[in-house]
Amino acid sequence: MTPEVAPARATVLQPRPWFASTKFLLLVFGLLAVYAYGWRVTKIDLPELLKGTKFVRPFVVDLVRPDVVSRDVQIQEVQLGMSVNAAVAPEDVAPPASGPQLSVPTRVTAVGAQLQVTGRGFRPNGSGTLFWVNPIGNPQQVGTFHTDATGAFAVTITVPEVFRGPESGPRGAQQRLLARVTWETGPLRPSKTLLLVGEKIIETVFLALMGTTIAIVAAIPLSFLGAKNLTAKNPLGTTIYFFTRTFFNVTRSIEPLILAIVFTVWVGLGPFAGVLALALHSVAVLGKLYSEQIESIDPGPIEAIAATGASPLQVVRYAVVPQIVPPFIAFTIYRWDTNVRMSTVIGFVGGGGVGFILQQYINLLQYRQAATAVWAITLVVAALDYLSAVVRERVV
Amino acid sequence: MKGASLKVEHLSKIYPDGTVALRDVSFEVAPGQFVVIIGLSGSGKSTLMRCINRLIEPTSGKVYIDDIDITALSVAEMRRLRRSIGMIFQQFNLVKRSSVLTNVLSGRLGYLPPWWSLINHFPRDEVDRAMANLRRVGIPEKARTRADQLSGGQQQRVGIARALMQEPRLILADEPVASLDPATSHSVLRYLEELNKKDGITVLCALHFLSLARRYGSRILALKAGQLVYQGVPADIDERRFKEIYGEDAVEVEIT
Repeated sequence: MTPEVAPARATVLQPRPWFASTKFLLLVFGLLAVYAYGWRVTKIDLPELLKGTKFVRPFVVDLVRPDVVSRDVQIQEVQLGMSVNAAVAPEDVAPPASGPQLSVPTRVTAVGAQLQVTGRGFRPNGSGTLFWVNPIGNPQQVGTFHTDATGAFAVTITVPEVFRGPESGPRGAQQRLLARVTWETGPLRPSKTLLLVGEKIIETVFLALMGTTIAIVAAIPLSFLGAKNLTAKNPLGTTIYFFTRTFFNVTRSIEPLILAIVFTVWVGLGPFAGVLALALHSVAVLGKLYSEQIESIDPGPIEAIAATGASPLQVVRYAVVPQIVPPFIAFTIYRWDTNVRMSTVIGFVGGGGVGFILQQYINLLQYRQAATAVWAITLVVAALDYLSAVVRERVV
Repeated sequence: MKGASLKVEHLSKIYPDGTVALRDVSFEVAPGQFVVIIGLSGSGKSTLMRCINRLIEPTSGKVYIDDIDITALSVAEMRRLRRSIGMIFQQFNLVKRSSVLTNVLSGRLGYLPPWWSLINHFPRDEVDRAMANLRRVGIPEKARTRADQLSGGQQQRVGIARALMQEPRLILADEPVASLDPATSHSVLRYLEELNKKDGITVLCALHFLSLARRYGSRILALKAGQLVYQGVPADIDERRFKEIYGEDAVEVEIT
């Protein structure tokens, strides 16, 4: 009889499988709600990633050809006086007979007309640009050309409508055609961008160094106040401990970028604001790390040195200091390393350093120059990262 | 150099949280004795040791060292007296990142001018003394090694050398071999025995194992829940006494 009863009882006692339990279903539902809302509120739009590739391509392409070296540029330039009004004679501007020559079928033409431009005597196998220059000297590019082995070229342009200056009288019709061939010559030299980026990178590293140093000086005494085992021994000490820790926690939660904005208002744009921002943030971070380190020291040696009849100062020197100095150094180097990384973006809000020029390059769409700055930041941060890892390994 | 005498009278210690660690403990130790304190963990051995050099302030009672009431001394006087009381710890309590030599020299700090020693400068003859003490415990070649590179037994020998730097007349050893294996335990205790026999230093040593207590102690004190429950010579501890001290369920474990 028993075998027949047993299965029935078993089905009654059988708990629901884990995936059907109310708790689990509620959890799944809750998570789904959280992520559905998150997806909406952050406006995640994956097709945009594909659609936007054409905008980001120039930047990515320029990233692999940063502006680091340049040569001297030689220029060959020839001008020809033109007129876009049949009633106005062109200016008497023509190339000297000895140099490169520029010729057109007629020097009196009209806006929108097709014009065959030929040249000879230019630098062989060079490339150049044709400009239409208005009466007040503003050039507008109207075509490009390549010269053949003899230095000749022929190109057809459309005469553009250009701004004719303040008075629209006859002089406004006197315009010029300009042909310019440029080529690079001489040895490779560091480009202006590279020199500027280098200067700003050095500023960045020192910005981080100064910020960190100021932070160390302030954080060391504060960290002793924020160490429970040293300070919180009586009601006054507990109050001091509490306030120090609160200062650390509140300050630490404010991003250096926001602090930098505050300090640029206070002391003006420039690296000093950045130094102050990094210093204040680092005081909080280092202070917390230091005081936690002080709290975690081994009390054994303190007891042992005190038992030998040493003075309190000697106890600190021989039992406390050897235990905290190596981790202090390790934390500090790590902080400096972090600060170098942070100081690169602090420039974005005017806090000095390489971030400032990087932002300008990006805004001016000078992606090759921006690439130089990006590479410089990457190299310096990676190098310091490695250096700090090596030093920390040695010290601890 | 003669060992110090020690007299403890009605010593009690009640911690701020209400724990009674010592309850009316009284005993006397004659100069040059090797006294072993036994008892379970938490029976008050460590507190007793630390009340003798006032690393812990006793709640009541008196401690006399060479007939000086140390509970009445000022902080500065106590510091001077501590110079002649060496202390050895279960966890060695060396500064792990410092060299062995610095650890040994730190035992001498109480004798040195305070400012001079703060820049880690020790007079030549103190360095010689440290080296001599390291030779005495058999590890002079480890002087420049970082303390945490040493084995447990070697670290405890550094601890002994550090105590020797104090030229102590009394050594308090708080379970000096509890973290060591049996063979190393014997070698460490033999150093303490030698200091006791050769130099006449009074030794007060807390031990876990009765066999070790019998082998090294000239007298035994037993603590149970903060009270002194037995004092006498090692040979007198029989099965009944043992169960009194360690509880009914205890079985004696031999360590040889």
